[in-house]
Amino acid sequence: MPDTERLSCGQFLAGTRILFNRELAAYFDSPIAYIYATVFLVLSCSTFMNSFFLDAVVDMSAYFEILPFLLIPFIPAITMRAWAEERAEHTFELLMTLPLHSFQVVLGKYLAALGFYLVVLLGSLPIVAMLAWLGEPDVGQIAASYLGALLLGGFFLSFGLLASGLTRDQIVAFALATLIGFVFVLSGHEKVVEVVDGLTPSWQLGTWLYESVSVLPHYEAFGRGLIGLADLLYFLLMSGFFVWMNQITLQRSKY
Amino acid sequence: MINVESVTRRFGNLTAVDDVSFAVERNEIVGFVGPNGAGKSTMLKMLSTFILPTAGKIEIDGLDAVEQSLAVRRRIGYLAGDTPLYREMRVDKFLRFIGQARGLRGTELQQGFERAVEICDLESVLLQRIDHCSTGFRQRVGLATALIHDPPILLLDEPTHGFDPLQVLAFRDMLQRLKKDRAILFSTHIIADVEAVSDRVLIINEGRLLGNGRIDQLAETAGRPDAGLEEIFAHLVQVEKPHA
Repeated sequence: MPDTERLSCGQFLAGTRILFNRELAAYFDSPIAYIYATVFLVLSCSTFMNSFFLDAVVDMSAYFEILPFLLIPFIPAITMRAWAEERAEHTFELLMTLPLHSFQVVLGKYLAALGFYLVVLLGSLPIVAMLAWLGEPDVGQIAASYLGALLLGGFFLSFGLLASGLTRDQIVAFALATLIGFVFVLSGHEKVVEVVDGLTPSWQLGTWLYESVSVLPHYEAFGRGLIGLADLLYFLLMSGFFVWMNQITLQRSKY
Repeated sequence: MINVESVTRRFGNLTAVDDVSFAVERNEIVGFVGPNGAGKSTMLKMLSTFILPTAGKIEIDGLDAVEQSLAVRRRIGYLAGDTPLYREMRVDKFLRFIGQARGLRGTELQQGFERAVEICDLESVLLQRIDHCSTGFRQRVGLATALIHDPPILLLDEPTHGFDPLQVLAFRDMLQRLKKDRAILFSTHIIADVEAVSDRVLIINEGRLLGNGRIDQLAETAGRPDAGLEEIFAHLVQVEKPHA
């Protein structure tokens, strides 16, 4: 098996950091990334402001409730170029012949995408400042919601990067990741659960998907200000699984 | 330094490299010649550890290219055929990134950077984005990435692609200067490049190695002692055809 050489923790982190720095800089070098970020912020913040004026409540729930649905197209738009472009530009060969373990490369790319997403997410902090100025929002709930949003984005990025690694075509990568996102989000929507249960009355497939697969129940717990171990583990294990799958698919391209 | 034993690479039903064996020693420049699609790039991709052989064994500086791929990658400087570069990066930043990814730090990185810039004559474009450089300069940036860590083994796939005649001459001169203490294997379909700098020639066609030796030895074997490499190449390919 290739790449069997053991790296020390320091060597592993150093290599990962080099890739992370390059990838993060590449996001901020790209005008299209700024366009995505602007569109995302305008959509998410304007949706929040609409419900804020209608409900006149000093909290950010409306912002975090809409987030999973906005991330369905937004994250694939970030990740679609990650590997597909490397293959199309042939830089994949450059990357995979550097003396780096393929997991360092995958992790570096993943963390850079997460870093970019975090910056975009933090673009909503003026809302927090506005709420603090207008009243006394539940800071603990907002902090837990941000953690949930970060984990949710990390999860979406993990399968978005996997989709990008499976194809040279950015459009295919985008469509595949969007489809996966739809499945994970909509399987947690109560109307979808009812319909799927109605179609499979003996199996109760909708309920099973909601309880075992869907991201929404785990994400919504953070929105209530709860940081549960089960929900943390769901996000970490699912993200870890897709990052690991990403590495496996890259290794297979050697054969 | 490079030992290839009975290496075969298949892509589905296509055999791109078929039972090829050869070696390249220290202080030697070996030209790898063949028409497009002959298997040159596939062979170099295997030597660089980018893809694995289907069968056979590859040793680089005494290390197994499959089992010890990371150690092998530290010992080689590889310029891939399409000169892959992050074109949105500035030349200096790109070279430093490659140097860091190759494990260079501090003074070592600075020295490697300055040496690669000097050898490839990149001073004038250091602050330019790579996509704003000419094809020749982009090729030289690619060469610099292969040289930055001062590797004992150089694998160059079509290194003169995009060069003008003066740049080709400069490249040949550079290769001769780099030869000391190194094993250099470069692929090309430009016969003149091979004749000018190679100590030995490997001729490949349809994945099979048809010739391995100095040009005069190959001419002797082909029964045409006065023939040039172009003629020898054409002869070997024609002779091989009926058996293919």
